[in-house]
Formats: sequence, C-alpha cells, structure tokens
Amino acid sequence: MESLIILSIAFPIIAGFAMYLFKSDWVTFALSCIMLPILTFAAFSIYDADLPLFIHTPALLNTFIIVFDFGLLAYFLWLGYLRKSLLVSILAVLQFVLLIIVIYMAPQVDTANIYVDKLTAMMYLLVAIVGTPIAIFSAKYMDYDEENKHTFVGIVVGFLGVMNFIVSVNNIEWFFALFETTTLASVIMIGFRGDKEAIKNSTLALWMNQIGGVAILFALILMIKDFGVYHFTDLWILDRETISMAAFGFLSIAALIKGAQLPFHKWLLGAMVAPTPVSAILHSATMVKIAPYLLLRLSPVIHDTLLSKLLILTTGFVFVVAAVFALTQDNFKRILAYSTISLLGLMMLAASVGTPTAVSVSIMLIIFHGFAKGFLFIQAGVLEKIFKIKYLKDMGQLLEIAPLTLMFIFFGFLNMTFIPFGSFVGKWIMIEEASGLLSQGSSVLLIALVAIGGVFLSVLYIKVLGISIKHHRFSEIKIAPQPKSFLFVAIWYYLWLMAITIFIAPFIANFVGSISLAVTGSPDKIHADGLSLIVGNSTLYFWQILGALTLLLFIHIAPLVFKFKNVDQMHPYNCGEVTPREAESYDFNFIGRYENRLNMIAITLFLFVLVLGGQLL
Amino acid sequence: MIGILLTLFSPIIGGFIYGFERIVKARMQSRQGPPLLQPFYDFVKLMNKRPMMVHSFHASMGIMYFISTWFAMAVLMMGNDLLIAIFFHVISVLALAMGAFSVRSAYSIIGAMRELIHLASYEPVVILMVVALYLVTGSFDIAVILTSDVVPLYSLPLVFITFLGVIPMLLHKSPFDIAEAHQEICGGPDIEYSGPFYEAVYTARWIEYVYVYFLVFLFGGSNYFLGAVLVIFTFFFINAVDNSTARLDYKKMLKFAWFILIPLSILNIFFVALGGN
Repeated sequence: MESLIILSIAFPIIAGFAMYLFKSDWVTFALSCIMLPILTFAAFSIYDADLPLFIHTPALLNTFIIVFDFGLLAYFLWLGYLRKSLLVSILAVLQFVLLIIVIYMAPQVDTANIYVDKLTAMMYLLVAIVGTPIAIFSAKYMDYDEENKHTFVGIVVGFLGVMNFIVSVNNIEWFFALFETTTLASVIMIGFRGDKEAIKNSTLALWMNQIGGVAILFALILMIKDFGVYHFTDLWILDRETISMAAFGFLSIAALIKGAQLPFHKWLLGAMVAPTPVSAILHSATMVKIAPYLLLRLSPVIHDTLLSKLLILTTGFVFVVAAVFALTQDNFKRILAYSTISLLGLMMLAASVGTPTAVSVSIMLIIFHGFAKGFLFIQAGVLEKIFKIKYLKDMGQLLEIAPLTLMFIFFGFLNMTFIPFGSFVGKWIMIEEASGLLSQGSSVLLIALVAIGGVFLSVLYIKVLGISIKHHRFSEIKIAPQPKSFLFVAIWYYLWLMAITIFIAPFIANFVGSISLAVTGSPDKIHADGLSLIVGNSTLYFWQILGALTLLLFIHIAPLVFKFKNVDQMHPYNCGEVTPREAESYDFNFIGRYENRLNMIAITLFLFVLVLGGQLL
Repeated sequence: MIGILLTLFSPIIGGFIYGFERIVKARMQSRQGPPLLQPFYDFVKLMNKRPMMVHSFHASMGIMYFISTWFAMAVLMMGNDLLIAIFFHVISVLALAMGAFSVRSAYSIIGAMRELIHLASYEPVVILMVVALYLVTGSFDIAVILTSDVVPLYSLPLVFITFLGVIPMLLHKSPFDIAEAHQEICGGPDIEYSGPFYEAVYTARWIEYVYVYFLVFLFGGSNYFLGAVLVIFTFFFINAVDNSTARLDYKKMLKFAWFILIPLSILNIFFVALGGN
C-alpha cells in the first residue's frame, strides 16, 4: 500500500519533470494519458485498503523538506526583489523568522508524518478522475497560439502530485511546506504568459497566500507552545473542553485565504488571466479544495465552539455575497470564479458545522463541485480557443455556432444548482440538517444564509444560460469540429456526472458516508434504500431523481432535438416596428456600489474569526 | 391514492379556481364576469387554433413548462418531502425563462429577467416557510404535517403573513405581476406563445394555483376545517389585493421581500426556536 501512495505522489511530479526536460509532443501526450488509468487505479486501491494508515518516514526526508522550505522562502524573497514588491519580501522574511522559531521549538514526536485515511483517498480519487483529464486537455489547448507548452503541462501535472502530497501529510510543518509549494505552483501558472497583467496578478496571489502561510506558522508556534504537538492526529485526541483555540483560529484563517473567501478573493479572480486549464485545475481538483479539506481535518476539534460559529457566519456571508457579485459580471470565467468562491463558502460552512451529516455535505460538495467546475472551465477553454468567445455578451449566437459546447455548458450549470444533481442534494441536506439544529438559535441565520445564497446561484445560472441562447434565429445549427482530446475530456466529465447523479443515493450513502464516518467517528443520517436517498425522516425518491433528470435532460438537449414539423413559423411581436428592438439582460451593476461596504463586513468577520474565535482577547 | 387523484385532476381543479377567480374579480368591479367554465371554453378554442410558433425550441419550452409544473405538483402530492417539492418548482421556472430568453423579442426577454427577479424574491421566503413548518411539526413530511396535532398557524402567524405577501409574486397578481405586466410588456414570457403552445403555458398556470393554495392549506395542520378556511380567506384576500392595488416595479418587490418579509419570517422562526428550548 505504501508503494501505491508513493506512486500517487511521486509519479505526477516525476512525469512533470520528464515533460519539462524532454519537450516532446509525444512524451507529454503519452505521459498525461497514461497517468489517468494509473492514478485512478492507485486511488481506488488505496480507498479499498485497510485505512487509516500511518507511514513513518526517514528523518532524512524531514531534513530535506526543511531545506526545501528555506529554499522556497528564499525564492519568494527573490521574487519580491525582482518584482519590486515590498510586501512579498517582508512576508517572506517574516516566514523565514517564524519558520526558524518553529524548528527551534519543535519537540521530537514519534507520530508518523504521513497519515492516509478515507478523506485522503477521496482527494486522490478527485485528483485522478477530475485533475488528470485537465492535463490531457491542456496538452492540446496549448497548441493554440500559446508558448512553452511542455513546461506548462509539466507544471499542471506536477501540481497534481503536490496536491496528492499535501492531503496525505500529518505533520503540520510539512503541511506548511506543501501549502507554500501549491502557492508557488499557482504563482508560476498565473504568471505563465509573462505579460504585465499576469505578473501583477501572480504577485497578488503570492502575497495573499503568503499571509495564509504566516497564519499556519503562527498556528504552529501556538500549538507547540500550548500542547506540544504538531500533527493532525495528535490534535484530535486533545481534551476539547480545556484547550486554547488560538492555533485553530490561525489555521482557519489560512483555510479561508486558500479558499479565496472575501476579502481575499482577488487572487482567484486574478487567476483568469492565465491559460484556461490553470483555472480549471485551480478550481476543480486542487488548490482551493485545500481549504475545505483543512477545515474538515480540523472539524473534530472545532465543531460546536465559538470559532466554528464565527466560521459559519463568515463563510455563509461569502456564500451569499459572492453569488450576488457574480450577477454583475460579464466575463464568463469571472462568473465561474465567483460561483466557485460562493460554493467554497458553502463547503467550508458545512465543514465548520461539523456534525456527521454536515461533514458528508461538505465532502459531496467537494466532489460534485470538482466535476462540474472542471467541466465548465474546459468548455470555457473551448469557447476561448475555438470560437474566440470570452464575454457573456458575445455568447448570444452560441447555439448556431457551438451547439455542442452550449449543451455541455448547460449541463454543467444544471449540475451546480438543480435538483437532483449533487450540489442541490448538498444544499438540501444542509438546510434539513440545520433545521434539526434549530434549537440552538444561531442556526436560524445558517438556514437563511444557505437558502438565500442558493437562490442567488439559481438566478445567476438561469441568467447565464438564458443569455447564451438569447436572440438566435435557429436558421441552421452546425456542429463545429473539435479536437478529439477536447471531446474526450468533455464526454469523460459528462458521463461521470451522469453516472453519479443516477446512482446518487448509493454513492452518497456508501462512499461519502464512509468518508464522513472516518472524519467524524460517528455515522451520518444518510441512507440509501435502493436508489432512493433517505436523510433522517425525509426521502428523495428515485422516481423524483429520475423525473427531474429526464426533465432537465430534455430541456438541455431540446435545442438540438426538438423539431416541430407542420407548424408555421412566425416572427415575434415587435409592436409594429420593422427593426426589432434588442433587449439586454439586467446587468445588476448597482450592486457594485456596495462592494466596498461588503468587503468591510468581510474583513470584520475575518478579524472576528481570528480574535474572538481564536480567543485572542 | 388521494394524492394521485389530486395530481391528475390538478389542471381541472386549477381551471375551476381560475374561472371562479374571474367571477369574483368581476363582481368586485361590479361586473357580471364570464361563466365558470370560461377557462375550459378557452382551452377548446386555443386547441383548435392553427398552431404557430417562433421556433421549435421556444415552443418546446412552453410544453416543458407545463410538464415540469405538473411534475412538481406530483412531487408535492405524492413525495413526502416538502422542501424537495419547493425545489422542483425551480425547474419549471427554468423552462419558462429559457423559452422566453430564446426569442428575438424585447418583451419576452424583459419578462424572463423579471421572472428571475420574482424567483429571487419569493424563493427564500418559501424556503423559510418550509423550515418554520418543520420547526413546529417536527417533520418535512407533508403527511406528518397534515396529521400533526399542533396547528402551525397558531405558532407561525408572521410566517403566514409573509406567505400571503409572497403569493402575488408566485401567481403573478397585482401589485407584483411584474413579470407579466400586460400593459407594459404584453405578458412577458407568455407573449410569443400561441394556440396549443399557449394552452400549455396557460394550463401550467392553473396547476400553480393548486400548488400554491395547497401550501396555504398546510398551515391548518390536522385541522382541515381551519385549512379550508385559510385557503378561502387567502383566495379572497389575494383577489381583493389584486383588484385594489397598482403594479409596483421590480426594485420595490425585491425590497419588500428582502427587507420586510424575510426578516419577519426569521423573527418568527427565532421566537419559535427559543420557545421550544
């Protein structure tokens, strides 16, 4: 089993280096294709094995990681000097100092440094099934007037390995090192095109994530000082009644920053200047998913504390506000980015609630959101490269020029909010679970936030879909040819989404349920009766799942299949005018006026999490 | 069994409600009004018309709107979870909005956008209503709500009032008939439908009547008499308001829903939650 874990971590990293060194189309394509079955097989085997698993590592590795860490910080310092960013340099120096303190203070503990449980195996599966196809996609994508193809695919693939590593570490010091490695990878990828804006945005991503790194280091110092331990598994066995929350407050801040929650959302928005596969990989399987993952790791300790309540408030606020901001956007990738921020809020909210059912919700949202967002960003890349469309306002004629892409986008959006798809089921269970908690007053706000945010997301998705089929004449629909690897990746996601939606009940009850059991230690309230989903006393019957799925499938393929013969076609009513008036959709620009105020609230909530939740007062 | 029957006959029941509503409205305006069966005469007339459409996708969305509304009705009657039934309603909004967006008509597109504003206004209130019902009766199960000993209305007066405020948005009644707005945008999403396709949209609206009034009925709990009284009261109240108010604009609707109705529901839920502890 150890060898499979090492394979999952090391193979993508080595493959990435190989792509970088060989710079041959054949090697890049073959390696990215062969990675899909290998990683998937390894992840499935690990999931099936006897978990959890502790792996002791040689002391040499520890030394190597510390050296690597200092190297990384030196590189950040150099980047700060190179880009004339004082902030980056200061943060790098601060991290340098804090890291030395941590290493000086850290006691010898013989807890294993690698800890693989079901949650880790789930993340492996996500990386393999959702992340690897993006590498295949980007190998073809970079052929369209982009440079340094092999370096790019190499970094994408290597990133998958780093992601696999970060979810398997137990030692928080290592977690910090890998946290900063993912920062490095995202900085390189965001700045990949090397123009002025790319450099600017990557610097932004760098310093924001560095603050997260500083927070982890503070947490480490507090942890070592207060409890004398710095491993996740050691934290869980502490006495919850008496421990100080300060360290967890800092770790939560790191999670919030990595999850691009307001007011630190700008770095994820800035990521859209990079080639689209970067967004796809950051949003779906890696990077931002570290945030809910970290909170899930902490949830056994922090649930039912003031910290978790404040986290619920903060993330719930982001869930609503990011969805509202998304309504004002015109750039397709920006809309997707805002909706990711919003849904990350929901995932972290569920993780902070921390009951077994809420943890299941968080996990299922991670999975379904990963699939849907990967899918949507792939389609955004196709739109950009083949059809040269980046903005919502250009998407009006989409059905005539890109019917297949429109159908895929339609399906992706349906997945994000409508019954019976996973994101909906998550939202539904969350509302029911929160209703069950109502006797503790704070849950009223929780329900209100979940209900309101969900409605805004529905409005957003219907609006975007409406605009993309707006105003077309249905003169002739032609299917433009697409490269095979684009189609393969799209159909891969489509079939997976379809399969897990039809079998959603057993999937959630067995697969997600077992992970939640491993995280929280007690079973959740979700069961499957055949293909019907039972949550507590409520049931989502299979006929309902199937009915909703059939309705939505009809709606999303209707433009392609429905043809009424023998019905006369008429022009729409234009009030007698010869040239029809064009109506635009609402742009909701007035919301922009409140942006500063909402950001201020977000900052206040951040401080509350840290100061009140962490009991720093 | 009764659920299946109600679902199957919901278009007919809704047609009768609509016919009766037209009479009531006419009498409120001192007119005679059409016969009770007028909606069904319209039905026959519309079905016999020459079918015309803007394009196939638009026409098919009209039919999908009808089917998905009916399916949402079936879920409400035969499924057990109220929240699921509420979310099924969003699918029918999707179908209606998709159809309305797809034609090259300013009225239709404005109507579709306004339909979304409607959704943003009423949906949170309705979800909070369901949560409140759960809080009082201890279940999301419609059968349990209808047999529970407590009468939800007595604990949830504010929630009932907010729901009364939301019904005009759900059923497109004045002062919140913003998406249809006949004098302004000629019916909004409905405008491009004609003949049998309009009939589909028209019948879907009847089903929505049954859907909404059934939600009102739930406030009576196991006291069916009270439930029936509530439905009748609501019916007359909504029509009186419809007759006596002018249309507001969408910003006023949003503000009304967000700054009055939602806080009121939250307040009520909050008090019930505190009392139960």
